[in-house]
Amino acid sequence: MNAALMILEIAVLVLGIALLLLDLWTPPARKRLLGYGAAVALVVVLAYSFKLTGETGFAFGQAYAFDGLALFFKRFFLLAAILVLVMAAEFSDRIASGISEFYSLILFALAGMMFAASANSFPMLFVSLELITVTFYVLTSFQRNRLASLEAGVKYLILGALSSAFLVYGIALVYGASGTMDFAELAGKSAALKDQPLFLLGLLLVLAGLGFKIAAFPFQIWAPDVYQGSPAPATAFLAVGSKAAGFVLLLRLFNTVGLDVTWHWEKLLMVMAAVTILYGNLCAIPQRNLKRLLGYSSIAHAGYLLLGVAAMSPAGSTAVLYYLAGYLFTVLAAFSVLAIIIRKTDIEDVSGLAGLNQRSPLLAATLTLAMVSLAGVPPLAGFFGKFLLLKSVVEQGGSYYAYYWLAAVALAGVVISFWYYFGVIRAIYWSKDPADLSPIEVSLPARICLYACIAGMLFLGLFPNRLVENARAAVLPPPPAKIAEKTAVAVASPASIK
Amino acid sequence: MKLEDYSWIVLLLPLAAAAIITLFTQRHGKLSAQISIAAVATSFLLSLFLLITLRETSHAISAINWLAIGNLKVEIGLRLDHLSLLMLLIVTGVGGAIHVYSWGYMQADRCVSRYFASLSLFTFSMLGIVLANNFVMMFIFWELVGVSSYLLIGFWYEKASAADAAKKAFITNRLGDFGFLLGIILIWATLGSVEFDALKTTLAAHPAALGSMAGVAGLLIFCGAMGKSAQFPLHVWLPDAMEGPTPVSALIHAATMVAAGVYMLCRVFFLYEAAPAWPECLAFLNGITALNIISWIGGFTALLAALIAVQQNDIKRILAYSTLSQLGYMVMAVGLAAPGAGMFHLTTHAFFKALLFLGAGSVIHALHHEQDIWKMGGLKKKMPVTFWTFLVGTLALCGVPPFSGFYSKDAILAAAADPVHGNVGLFILAVLVAALTTFYMFRLIFVAFLGPVKDQAVDQALESPGIMVWPLRLLAVPSVLAGFWGLELFIGGAFGETAHALSWHEKIFAPLNHSPLAALFGLFATMVGLGAAWQLYAKAVQDPLPEKLGLLSRAMRNRFYFDEIYRVLIAITHELLSRLANWFDRWIVAGLMVRGTHGTTELFGRALRLAQTGNLQTYAFLFAAGVVLVLWFVLGH
Repeated sequence: MNAALMILEIAVLVLGIALLLLDLWTPPARKRLLGYGAAVALVVVLAYSFKLTGETGFAFGQAYAFDGLALFFKRFFLLAAILVLVMAAEFSDRIASGISEFYSLILFALAGMMFAASANSFPMLFVSLELITVTFYVLTSFQRNRLASLEAGVKYLILGALSSAFLVYGIALVYGASGTMDFAELAGKSAALKDQPLFLLGLLLVLAGLGFKIAAFPFQIWAPDVYQGSPAPATAFLAVGSKAAGFVLLLRLFNTVGLDVTWHWEKLLMVMAAVTILYGNLCAIPQRNLKRLLGYSSIAHAGYLLLGVAAMSPAGSTAVLYYLAGYLFTVLAAFSVLAIIIRKTDIEDVSGLAGLNQRSPLLAATLTLAMVSLAGVPPLAGFFGKFLLLKSVVEQGGSYYAYYWLAAVALAGVVISFWYYFGVIRAIYWSKDPADLSPIEVSLPARICLYACIAGMLFLGLFPNRLVENARAAVLPPPPAKIAEKTAVAVASPASIK
Repeated sequence: MKLEDYSWIVLLLPLAAAAIITLFTQRHGKLSAQISIAAVATSFLLSLFLLITLRETSHAISAINWLAIGNLKVEIGLRLDHLSLLMLLIVTGVGGAIHVYSWGYMQADRCVSRYFASLSLFTFSMLGIVLANNFVMMFIFWELVGVSSYLLIGFWYEKASAADAAKKAFITNRLGDFGFLLGIILIWATLGSVEFDALKTTLAAHPAALGSMAGVAGLLIFCGAMGKSAQFPLHVWLPDAMEGPTPVSALIHAATMVAAGVYMLCRVFFLYEAAPAWPECLAFLNGITALNIISWIGGFTALLAALIAVQQNDIKRILAYSTLSQLGYMVMAVGLAAPGAGMFHLTTHAFFKALLFLGAGSVIHALHHEQDIWKMGGLKKKMPVTFWTFLVGTLALCGVPPFSGFYSKDAILAAAADPVHGNVGLFILAVLVAALTTFYMFRLIFVAFLGPVKDQAVDQALESPGIMVWPLRLLAVPSVLAGFWGLELFIGGAFGETAHALSWHEKIFAPLNHSPLAALFGLFATMVGLGAAWQLYAKAVQDPLPEKLGLLSRAMRNRFYFDEIYRVLIAITHELLSRLANWFDRWIVAGLMVRGTHGTTELFGRALRLAQTGNLQTYAFLFAAGVVLVLWFVLGH
């Protein structure tokens, strides 16, 4: 076992536990600062991650893989967590009880996501997913005095449990059909198993479990309610981190295990992508609640990301990675602004944005840029990401005609999305008779985060080459795993997990 | 540096002046004026130098590549030949006199820097047209002239009439320019080049290269001239453009902008020498050449404007319509296959019309912006220099020998009487216009300068200061003498004509030897006009013509109701079009397309939202149903 490969995760976990302990000696007035401290510590961890560039290896036998893809996503999650922690610190007034626990939970969820980035076997996949999901059960219902938050928590808990049940059932079926849970070993056997219904059924149920994470049709039903009810920082982390975790698992599963099988699933993925895009965008149109609107928008973006998966090509996977990076800055920018506004006014409605350009030009500009980037207007990150995704889809059009239709549907979805994204912008700048024009203060750390998000959106949109190269290197298939090195794998049996 | 490269300096100096004034010396009116005047004066001296050194060469070109799109290569090239050298002198020379005069006239204006910046920009644009060696470059400067004339006419933009006049001039010119651009595109499409030299060579080798579009191309190019040179039916902008400061009127109406159209026609005259042909849909024009049409439009404009001028009372408007009329002459000359005569008249006209305008400006200046000739009278005693120079200009315009106008007008009359290209109808028309010209000009002289004093303001009138009077004196010289300088010969060189040089005393009587019929008719017409004017206006206190002519006089005074007709026409078509567009936008675009899509999309959104009940049991059911759906999709097939 090579524990040194897990240094990043271990650091995050230690940090989380340390926060819980520090909480005991911190006076209540200063607990908020712990969040900033944790964010700074994560910056150090993120910086350290660049020392690990180029390293590859396995731990727990083949169960934990450390490679380019894993490292890309670990950095991604770290960056997201840093921004979310600052957001949570800003939002701490609205979280009545235990802000330190809130920070720790974010860190534990982060650890789960980082493990998910490396998950190379079903037990690892399940454990890391559960670590994320269970933590989010608490995070979503953290505002205990707020009914909506509790409702969101309960819904997420029950539907999450349901999806976990499907997932675990699927894993069991796969194990039953193949006799292994290791991705690398499954890769060798899948060619022979590809026509066996039991095996396919198992994989499909796993897909359903992951579909729940990324909120893709037809597993998206929970997203709007949970997004709306949860505290803004939790929603942001859910929208970025949890979704990305689902995608890294999906990519790894499809790229290593299921290639022989999933080649035949392109139709399924294309339909899922198309319907998800249309569903998210259409439902967002009549929304007035900003968090709910972003919930639907996140469904639509899951659809866009599925385009890259459905393309079944390295170009598609590259596009997914790139798009997620842009999405991180964009969504976190939007939610940071929302968190600050909600903290000040407690209004989540679009009408609450009236006069924002006078109350705080920075917030207005950031939210506008975020909306424009989500809609996919050059020169922002969202545009180039969508461009890469659509390009990868169109490239496949030569081999299978339906890809053109998929691209057309995606474009229609983008056009529809302009409607509600620009509705938000209109509310910011052209609302009639804003009721309240008192200025909104933005603290220094929050301002730094907002500037970072703006810079990220613009930088990725204007100079995409570097990241595209990184992403392309990350998705290249890893060298064939050395099966011979098989050690006594400590595979946890499904029973012992629950 | 080759000799012809100096032409870049001639071209760019005014631009530099405009830039410096705009950027640095906005607040220093006097300095701005000095910069502007210095630039144009230097350009003038350089032009003179170029003329003297290059007068023997047929042409020289100094060019840089500008852009290349596919087969289209466009140069910024300066072409120096007899035509452009002469025109350079007119633009910088007459323009320079106007610059100097402007400083006297505009001194009191608080935006004098802006005025001189616009003036320099205008000069630069005009020089660009003159020097252009290809259609694209000419078109660019053509438009620049449009813009800078807009700036100058609307200089007193706070005055509604000036702002309107500027818009009118600009928009009317756009109409012509549209045709011009179409013509350029047509020529480029059929001949594959926009460069004058290349086009000329191609057409000389294959006169039928333009095929059946030769006539159309010629007319489309003429559209541009119609706008700039204010030919019927696009003549309406020119009289209104009098709303600008008087020196601007002189600049635009005498020497430069309006001359651009005629100059352009002369420049591309080779196009009209191509075999005339019409496409099938215009078959009824067979037997008529584009030049025929041009000559009749010119002749008609000349007559129409002369008639209107007879009944105008505003001193500047009389001159404006006189300009229109003279432009008609020039265009007619080009149409009669005598571009040399047109250019000759353009040159002499530039001198004496600038002189007349500046003289009028001097009068207006002295009378504190009074422009009605029926409130003047007896100005001869008050303003002797203005009077005598104005008289010189008038005599030149009327074609009294030995003033320059006599020779240039005679050349046009001779062209109309020419047995090959001439036309009896046009000859009669031209003689009639000559008579009318003398009539309305001497009406102006009798009423404003001689005759009884009609208003007390005249008693206070003083001769204008030296800075305004000296340009008058300077311009009077060429107005008298330009007929003897061999200009005709020099211009002829540009069209490949050869003629033997005459001594100066032979030149005085050359018209009588060359075409006695035309000369005698011209002189006769002048005398008739002078006599009639003497009869009617020598002692008149108010205009006797309205009583005698009745309705006709009213129509003349009201400019034959062209403005009103256009207004109604535009109102009807514009209103109809905008109503149609409004209907289309409201019901088809916004209604059916936008609202339709919007409505259906929103309906979908609202319908889908119904699934989102918020009920946990429903959610769990839908989730499970989704799993079943996925399983069926893959395994069910």
